[in-house]
Amino acid sequence: MNPLLEQFLSESRESLQGIGEKLMQLEKDPASSELMTELFRFVHTLKGNSGLFDLPELTRVLHAGEDLMDAVRNGVVAYSPLLADRLLDAMDFVGMLCDEIEKHGSTNAKHIDNSVRLAADLRQLIVVVIVSSDEVACAVATPLQPQNSNPASQLPLADLSEEIRMTAYRAAVSGETLHWIEYSPSEECFFQGDDPFFQARQTPGILWGGIAARHVWPALAELDPFCCILDFTVLSTASLEELQEYYRYVPDQVRIIPVPGRFFILPHGDPNGGPVYEDFVADALGLLQSGNMVGLTRATRSMLELSNPDLWLSAALRWLLLVTEQEPENVVVQEVIIISLRTLTHPDWHELDASTPIQDGDAVTPRFKPAKQTPEVTALIAAQREVLSMPNDVAWLAGRLKSVAASLSGCLQAIVSTELVASMDVALNESLEQQTSVPLLRWLDSQFEQTPKADQPDTSDTIYMPETVAVPQADAAVKYGRRSEDAYVGPKSIKVDQAKIDRLMNLIGEMVVAKNALPYLAGRAETVFGVRELSREIKSQYAVINRIAEEMQDSIMQVRMMPVSFVFQRFPRLVRDTSNKLGKEVTLILEGEETEADKNVIESLGDPLVHIVRNSLDHGIEMPDVRRAQGKPAAGTIVIRATQEADRVVIEIRDDGKGIDPAVIKRLAYEKGIIDEERLERLTDQEAINLVFAAGFSTAEVVSDLSGRGVGMDVVRTAIEKVNGSIHLESENGKGTCIRLSLPLSMAVTNVMIVESNNQIFGVPMGIVVETVRIARADIRTIKKNQATVLRGRIVPLKSLNMLLGQHDPPKANEEDELAVLIVSLGGESVGIFVDDFRETVDIILKPMTGVLAGLSAYTGSALLGDGSVLMVLDMKEII
Amino acid sequence: MKRILIVDDAATMRMYYRSILEGAGYQVDEAVNGIEAMEKSLQEPFDLYIVDVNMPKQDGYSFMSELRGRDLFQAPALMVSTEAAASDRTRAYAAGANLYLVKPIKPDELLTNCRLLLGEVHP
Repeated sequence: MNPLLEQFLSESRESLQGIGEKLMQLEKDPASSELMTELFRFVHTLKGNSGLFDLPELTRVLHAGEDLMDAVRNGVVAYSPLLADRLLDAMDFVGMLCDEIEKHGSTNAKHIDNSVRLAADLRQLIVVVIVSSDEVACAVATPLQPQNSNPASQLPLADLSEEIRMTAYRAAVSGETLHWIEYSPSEECFFQGDDPFFQARQTPGILWGGIAARHVWPALAELDPFCCILDFTVLSTASLEELQEYYRYVPDQVRIIPVPGRFFILPHGDPNGGPVYEDFVADALGLLQSGNMVGLTRATRSMLELSNPDLWLSAALRWLLLVTEQEPENVVVQEVIIISLRTLTHPDWHELDASTPIQDGDAVTPRFKPAKQTPEVTALIAAQREVLSMPNDVAWLAGRLKSVAASLSGCLQAIVSTELVASMDVALNESLEQQTSVPLLRWLDSQFEQTPKADQPDTSDTIYMPETVAVPQADAAVKYGRRSEDAYVGPKSIKVDQAKIDRLMNLIGEMVVAKNALPYLAGRAETVFGVRELSREIKSQYAVINRIAEEMQDSIMQVRMMPVSFVFQRFPRLVRDTSNKLGKEVTLILEGEETEADKNVIESLGDPLVHIVRNSLDHGIEMPDVRRAQGKPAAGTIVIRATQEADRVVIEIRDDGKGIDPAVIKRLAYEKGIIDEERLERLTDQEAINLVFAAGFSTAEVVSDLSGRGVGMDVVRTAIEKVNGSIHLESENGKGTCIRLSLPLSMAVTNVMIVESNNQIFGVPMGIVVETVRIARADIRTIKKNQATVLRGRIVPLKSLNMLLGQHDPPKANEEDELAVLIVSLGGESVGIFVDDFRETVDIILKPMTGVLAGLSAYTGSALLGDGSVLMVLDMKEII
Repeated sequence: MKRILIVDDAATMRMYYRSILEGAGYQVDEAVNGIEAMEKSLQEPFDLYIVDVNMPKQDGYSFMSELRGRDLFQAPALMVSTEAAASDRTRAYAAGANLYLVKPIKPDELLTNCRLLLGEVHP
């Protein structure tokens, strides 16, 4: 997968987790603006990130979520549990899409409907308030008010045909108002009952209409036909009031801009070619000044006949004719058109107020257009102009001015107009002295309104004048002598692929094993080769290597350690959802979340914990009225606490529910045939409670009439035992239940006992070894073909390891005719295993069986021993 | 080599900008909020800043004005936000940004503007 997408997914997960947590906290403290701001930021970041990828479903939902949270943050919408539910739903959806992206690299198109629905659900919460609040409605309606005539100058009027523009112009001259309407229906408009096409077409006084896609069309397969991504533009002669009335249901989606009539006077066509116009311009200006309109019209007509109608000039002439005909008294407009014939540029109407007479032709001289001026350059310069027009009364004005100068000088260098830098620096200095942006702004206006003349004096020798304080880049370079490698501060933590750490882990495991070969080697040096000194040196060197290897192993283990909060964090949500569903009130308290353990241990905790907490919620905590009747607080409490005890992590799940009734358990166990009548009599209460762990105790029918718990507790126990953990349950009837899970901090090193049988050695995990005994052959009894012995007053069944592994050799006895028996504990029962002999216990790195060998269920794995031989570790549960 | 500082709390966005800018041969450093950005700037000024508006602890606007308030830092700054509204743009410019771009930003758009602000001739 592409690393950016991977990063996106991992950050998204963090954000989703954060959103969940913040919502939970907000539920307790709904007025906290800090929480809302954080919540908004999470959603905002997610949405911003999703924009980098083509994930329309994801972005749609997140966008709606962001808008909603923005409204909440600004106090427009109040926080409510419904809002939390919808937002959580939406985030679950986002999480699901993330999973899908991770698996398949993309999202399935079938989610479109869901994403539209979720987004609509979220938006609905915003809409409700807008409708109910007059204030907001007014704020939304403001765009309808014409602010000034400026927006009209940005309109793409040149895209309209000349015919339409002329019609519009005539309408304007005859006293009608012209409005440009931009109607952007919301994407979900079809679901709100809108028909945008009809709406636009039926606009009163429509002269012209246009439809355009809001952005590039998606591929046909991904196209959502129910999502409106069209923008409508309409040119209308109706009055503003009429249009506002007509678009009153969608005021926030409509922009109405009044357009002055002369804005339509835009000649277009091929600017090259045609006869020489200098004479005509001079003649026309003379005729205009003398008021000879008939003469002007005649001259224009004859000029028009000489010109190719496709030329820009012809278009300008046609406009001149029209203006002369429609408003002969408007000399200013005609003069501007005539002058434009000389300059071949569009008349600049938005700068020209009809009431101001034009002094000279300079007002319409073309703007500075160097060969390399791209739209980006234009935008950048416009941005600097905007920056300079900001209020001057800020403390950081000097910095702002210099940054503008730096940006402009960069821009000028980029378009190879460095000769302008010097004059800009002069203006910058003036600005800095006067503490105002005016001189710089004036310079900008002057440079980018007038064509730089080719014969401009060469100013390159004055670029870095002594009094120039700020020549940003050159100056800075001298001051700091910056070098890229200096003072680079890297991030404090790094993310590492888990596979890399696993590999390190394997390597250190091999290293530990290889190291263990050294004492063996030392022994051989002495006994086989008879070199005692060498043997001693090897041993001392071994001590050094041993220390380093152990430290290294320890460090790598540390890397794999992670806090239990990793599994705890899902519980607030789980408890909230489940208790709501069950109609119970539950307070969850998490303690010791920072306790750390190995990643594998933490991961193996997840499912069992969920199981236990669900049990507590479902069977432990009573309904609020039942609790009240018993004098307990209506809300139950579940405490999940993690602590470290020596080299183990202990997780305690305690609830104050009704606990487990041993009598019920006994009866059920008896009915299920798990215990016989005799045992039923002798069973202590604690033993009875532990019966919930017995396999086969929990089945669906039991659950329905079981007063306590027991749903799949055998599954929980198996999962915990798989990571060498243990589980302990205490319960007081009517008071509550406490389950303690004890797990090793790390699973990397396993302690095993080595036993010998039939000339082979095997490993047995120490966790299940109870004791090792030697039993005289005479003490072995045979009961119905099965061997057993009495050990400390209890009958222990005996099995031969050879038999269990399919070999028929009898176990070997020692000189006193005693047999070696390994007592192991399986599911609370002791079993004796005949072996030939016991060996030492060792710490090994257990490697699971892979490939073809994975099918050998008799072994949990293998490990390398110090002398290089392989030790097979038995899975006792499987073979017995 | 020109040095660019990316100030954004979203790791994905930082990675995105970084991949584009490093691909174009710039040296890129990152900061997750205004405070860290200021610390890094004080160690060594940058040639260009790319600043996200919405960040925890200190938002982009106040970082911008603080940066401009220190006389050493007059390098161009590009502010990035998901808000296209004119009021947001105005706020960015008032705070001292030199260009305001609305997300999502295409690689070309980012590179062209960075090159312009750094005074490099577009190839």
